[in-house]
Amino acid sequence: MNTAPFAPDRVRRATAPPRAGTQAGRMARRALAAAALVPLLAQASADAPRCGDALGTGVARGESKRYVVAWRADPSPIVVSRHFALDVVVCAKAGAAPAMSLRVDATMPAHRHGMNYRPTIAATGDGRFRAEGLLFHMPGAWEFAFDVTGNDGTERVRAPYELQ
Amino acid sequence: MTPVARVAVRLVPMLLLAALSAPAHAQPALDATERAKVLAHGPWPPPWTGDASNRASMKPRAVAFGERLFFDTRLSKNGLVSCAACHQPKKTWTDGHAKGIGLSVADRNTPTIANVRYAHWFGWDGAHDNLWAQSIRPILDPREMGMTPPAVAKVVRETPMFSCHYRKAFGRAPPPDDEAVLVDVAKALAAFQETVVTARTPFDDFRNALARNDAAAVARYPAPALRGLKLFVGRAQCSVCHAGPAFTNGEFGDIGVGFFVAQGKVDSGRHEGIRKLRDSPYNLLGRWNDDASRKTATGTRHVTLEHRNFGEFKVPGLRNVAETAPYMHNGSAKTLRDAVRHYSEIDPDRVHADGEQLIRPLKLADGEIDDLVAFLNTLSAPPQDFRRQQTVEPDCD
Repeated sequence: MNTAPFAPDRVRRATAPPRAGTQAGRMARRALAAAALVPLLAQASADAPRCGDALGTGVARGESKRYVVAWRADPSPIVVSRHFALDVVVCAKAGAAPAMSLRVDATMPAHRHGMNYRPTIAATGDGRFRAEGLLFHMPGAWEFAFDVTGNDGTERVRAPYELQ
Repeated sequence: MTPVARVAVRLVPMLLLAALSAPAHAQPALDATERAKVLAHGPWPPPWTGDASNRASMKPRAVAFGERLFFDTRLSKNGLVSCAACHQPKKTWTDGHAKGIGLSVADRNTPTIANVRYAHWFGWDGAHDNLWAQSIRPILDPREMGMTPPAVAKVVRETPMFSCHYRKAFGRAPPPDDEAVLVDVAKALAAFQETVVTARTPFDDFRNALARNDAAAVARYPAPALRGLKLFVGRAQCSVCHAGPAFTNGEFGDIGVGFFVAQGKVDSGRHEGIRKLRDSPYNLLGRWNDDASRKTATGTRHVTLEHRNFGEFKVPGLRNVAETAPYMHNGSAKTLRDAVRHYSEIDPDRVHADGEQLIRPLKLADGEIDDLVAFLNTLSAPPQDFRRQQTVEPDCD
């Protein structure tokens, strides 16, 4: 998930100990604590696992109101007129139902056409899917459409892809 | 003399000097986007590792057998037509006719077999997903060679030279199953056709010079051709479909060429091609595919049949295109200039595009058509004499 968990223990350990003193001293201590907090929060965010990290390098992501979709092309990078598959991880945001199924398609919006192939999708467990049989037959601006279905409906995640 | 006149007196000679010192054929420059697109058309030839669906692929003895078969007329019903009757080496493996002529006149233009090994669909309609299945089609087509599987098997079994080559290529005598002999004949034919690859061209010299930043070699590319190339990868958007080193994306498009072949008879192109593909016993999902993993069948498994496929035909590769007139799936464009002019004046109302925005009349000026033709001419390799192998199997001949 993109949303990194807050790490209160680490923040508490790193904050300077309270010290008796003036108003200015108290303000300085607060500023120091805030300054220390910012990089630590950033570090906590960077360390937290993101949706699809398990896919390895070259992962792209898109999101909608309820889902984050991460994917990696296989083989990567995508080449014009060569079949590829997508390994996909769907992560439900807080409060959203887990993904039960996935559909994958892609179009070239400027040309108003899609692919000449319909991929097949296999669920491999834990919100992971493999889409086989995609092919981009032209260079240019493509857009992936991931239709994620949970028990509370279907939501589309769109993601642009520029093919050289 | 007024100040304006004084400036003019000084400026005019300077402008004249600049005009005289610039070469009349100065090369237009490529920007970064154009350069990247040009580089994507090479290097040539691309690597190729054989056809996993064909156990004869890249096997010299099968290639030799395929070559014998390709030039032999005994694979036709009347004993007069060979594969080479339509795919003539001296005509860049085409025949120069608008429509192919075998036992009778076919409905479509004869495509070249040069560089066919890089394709993933075969025939103008892509009715076949592999080269050996595509090679069976004309042998059995009554308008082309008019044979049957038993007739082909009989010729191979009863012609000592053929049965000898068959044994050398496949390690066994022709089997009793007629269809198995037919498929192996086609696989040998495919193995031979895979060896036909066009040579490097003036465009490749330019493209490679660009890749290694060799300004002097880049400058040798003719200015009209470079202007045409800029159009090709730029405003004309030709390289969207004529993509990659072979100048084709290997897929299909409707470019508004007529599809009536006779009164009341329509050639629907890819739409019917997908139906034929699915019905073919020789497609890559079938038992004749030598690739046990069936990875080679990915396209066949996933291809979709859509209304927009009606009137789509295969995007041909453009290497040696200047040598393969006439053009289009029905041979309706007699010259390269006619083919370019078609895109200039295309009628969008004739395109079954479901709102697709790619095909629009380019409205090219005459000079731009000249430039595009100049560029296309640089895609031709110097003439190569095809020499048939003497033999790699002296015992058979």
